[in-house]
Amino acid sequence: MQTTETKFKNLEKWEGMLAKCIRCGYCYEHCPMFKFTRWESDAPRGKNILAHGLLTGSIELTREIAEKSFSCFFCKRCEAACSSGVQITDIMLDMRRDLVELGYKKDIGTISTTDRSCARCLQCVRACPHDAREYIDLEGIVVDPVKCKSCGICVEICPIEAISIPLPFGTDTENMDQKAAEFLNSTESAKVICFACNWSYHPDIQNSKMPESETHDKEYEILVNLCGGRLDKNLLLTPFLNQAWGVLVGVCPDGECTHDGNIAALKRVTKMKETLETLDINPDRIHLVQIPRGDKQLFQAEIDTFMEKINQLGPIR
Amino acid sequence: MNTVDIPRLRNIVGEKNIKTDPLDLFIYGADASVYHAAPWVVVRPDNTEQVQKVMAYANDAKIPVIPRGGGSGMCGQTVSIKGGILLDMKNMNRILEINMPDVYCRVQPGVVDDDLNAALKPYGVFYPPTPASSRIATIGGEIGNNASGVRSVKYGATRDAVLGLKVVLANGDLVTLGAHTRVEASGYQLEKLIVGSEGTLGVVVEAIMGFVPIPEFRCLGVANFDSLRDAGNAIGDIMASGTIPSMLELVDDVAIKAVNKTMGLGLKEVAASLLFEADGKVMEAVEYEVAKMQEICKKNNGADLWYSFDAKEREQIFMGRKKLFPALSQFDASMASTSLADDMAVPYSKMADMAAKIHEAAEKNGIIMTAYGHCGSGCMHTKIMMDVSKKEQWQGAKRAITEIYEYVNSIGGTTSAEHGIGISKADAFRTEKADSLKMMAAIKAALDPNNILNPGKLQQAPEDWVTATDLRYAVNS
Repeated sequence: MQTTETKFKNLEKWEGMLAKCIRCGYCYEHCPMFKFTRWESDAPRGKNILAHGLLTGSIELTREIAEKSFSCFFCKRCEAACSSGVQITDIMLDMRRDLVELGYKKDIGTISTTDRSCARCLQCVRACPHDAREYIDLEGIVVDPVKCKSCGICVEICPIEAISIPLPFGTDTENMDQKAAEFLNSTESAKVICFACNWSYHPDIQNSKMPESETHDKEYEILVNLCGGRLDKNLLLTPFLNQAWGVLVGVCPDGECTHDGNIAALKRVTKMKETLETLDINPDRIHLVQIPRGDKQLFQAEIDTFMEKINQLGPIR
Repeated sequence: MNTVDIPRLRNIVGEKNIKTDPLDLFIYGADASVYHAAPWVVVRPDNTEQVQKVMAYANDAKIPVIPRGGGSGMCGQTVSIKGGILLDMKNMNRILEINMPDVYCRVQPGVVDDDLNAALKPYGVFYPPTPASSRIATIGGEIGNNASGVRSVKYGATRDAVLGLKVVLANGDLVTLGAHTRVEASGYQLEKLIVGSEGTLGVVVEAIMGFVPIPEFRCLGVANFDSLRDAGNAIGDIMASGTIPSMLELVDDVAIKAVNKTMGLGLKEVAASLLFEADGKVMEAVEYEVAKMQEICKKNNGADLWYSFDAKEREQIFMGRKKLFPALSQFDASMASTSLADDMAVPYSKMADMAAKIHEAAEKNGIIMTAYGHCGSGCMHTKIMMDVSKKEQWQGAKRAITEIYEYVNSIGGTTSAEHGIGISKADAFRTEKADSLKMMAAIKAALDPNNILNPGKLQQAPEDWVTATDLRYAVNS
């Protein structure tokens, strides 16, 4: 491989660090995209390989490669786990800067996009925790693809559902809805759905499936979403419409959420409690807990306590 | 060149399980080795039947097939240097059975090692081979490689855990090898033949693996040495004493300096440190073993002697060893840490000489090498730190490696203890196994007459590992 003159002015400075990536793959188990697709091309190591390939001229830039570079939820779990200290997200951001200059700007990867039905209420502009959205005359809402961290707060706040993430990697409401309903309807012992935030908790089994003997009498299912702020009211209601006994929501502690999603989640859970009360259902059947990053033991303890309570309450009649 | 019938493969595994985009092929062209060569297509079967159909097609069309687990191999085992179909086994990832009365588990090849251990933990047992890459390595890949790790000194390697296998052969036939029992004397031990075959003899689609109880007590000890020879002698004496360590690790001065430099751990910069551990169900028995190992270290001039049962204290001490890998890759801004001659095994009595030889060869050839490893099982790890953009550094590395392997062969050691042969160690492997190469070729020809299973690896690997296939680095000529 020979280094060629580069059109990647921002990415260029990372060539040495990209060569230092020892490609151990320790990033795999932490990446929500890899866990969703199980394709190595969606894992951080794959993106490092592409970035290095572009810099050394071993692979030609295509829209598909640009799409990979614009696909990340910035949980930075890969970076924390990296055995070589590679600054994966900083590298990706510089690559994005180059790609923007090369014309790749919108409707790509996990960058949020706004369709023509936008009523220009500007709620998303105000709500974006990353200052990635602005309103420009004649153009409408414009998203900065370098600043956007694909947290999806804008998707949930849009009153007319005009915002979407082109490649949601299973984080969209539709997919979460489907998974919740599937568990509750296919498992006789199913009682509870636990929505867990990718930042604060993810289950022990990463990329394998448990034996059926272990799962047939499962009482709860943990569904990992990208942020508590993305749990809309319909998603919180879905489990109850599918005969769930309760719903547990795990979010980051105050001041630790990168997108203030825990505040939004608290509001929605509070509202859902009110809704349950009006339906004469015990509001304790939905409960929000704050879990510090990676504290699996605490989340398991919270799940156990909640299950005990739910088992005392019994099914909703 | 590329004559793969893509529609046919798509028909077998379905649209969602096939990748032909150049970007996917480029990414799957890499593993954790220094090599890069893209396959023609990536195929991800969901079940055994699909594997059989892919193999039957590939055999008829004489197209190479490279089975792949986590892609964590360090010697180029899953780099498709002859092109072909890369068979990504990650979709066959179910733990099929945990059978406590019969003390085995049955798993598909794509199950990740750490996931299996997470599933076994509630039963109070664990799957012991566990290499350092256990968070990504799959059981199928570990079987292909005969993987092992820090505790192999007591619990053995993957070959010791394999009871039985289901394997799809090159022509698509499915065979069941081994048994569900701890012992078997029914003829050829064919399941063991598959272990370490690096995907050249068949594709594992199911494995029956043994497990062992999780010990209730672990005790870790440390001893520092002013001379590498004293540390080496202590290793030999410990292993000859009848003690059974659950871990016996050596860390040399280069490694200690690297950890201190990048992590600021403030470890004492001595010529060598030994970490020794015992485990078991009875605390007194565990302490007896550790105290005995400590006494042996003392007799061999070991200093700063310490041991503890406390999990936090143990973790603190072991962190230096655990952080060694990242410390080496951040050793110097202009250098990358490469895995080349990185896991030879030598007799215990030669451990100190081996470490000295590594340092001597590195200095002579203008590169930096460190020696560390699971010395309790005879395994000596190294990493080569060099400026990977400079051709002369690669040439220096090659000369150093040649000298090191010549020494390993002369003292009755072996080319690889843990990481396998792949491409990078094939030269030394061929020298070491010179009188059994014909036998290997005959086995390969009998099971894979069209040579489609991971061709160009092990005994078939190219002779010049530096230039025979693309290095993944940009090297200035």
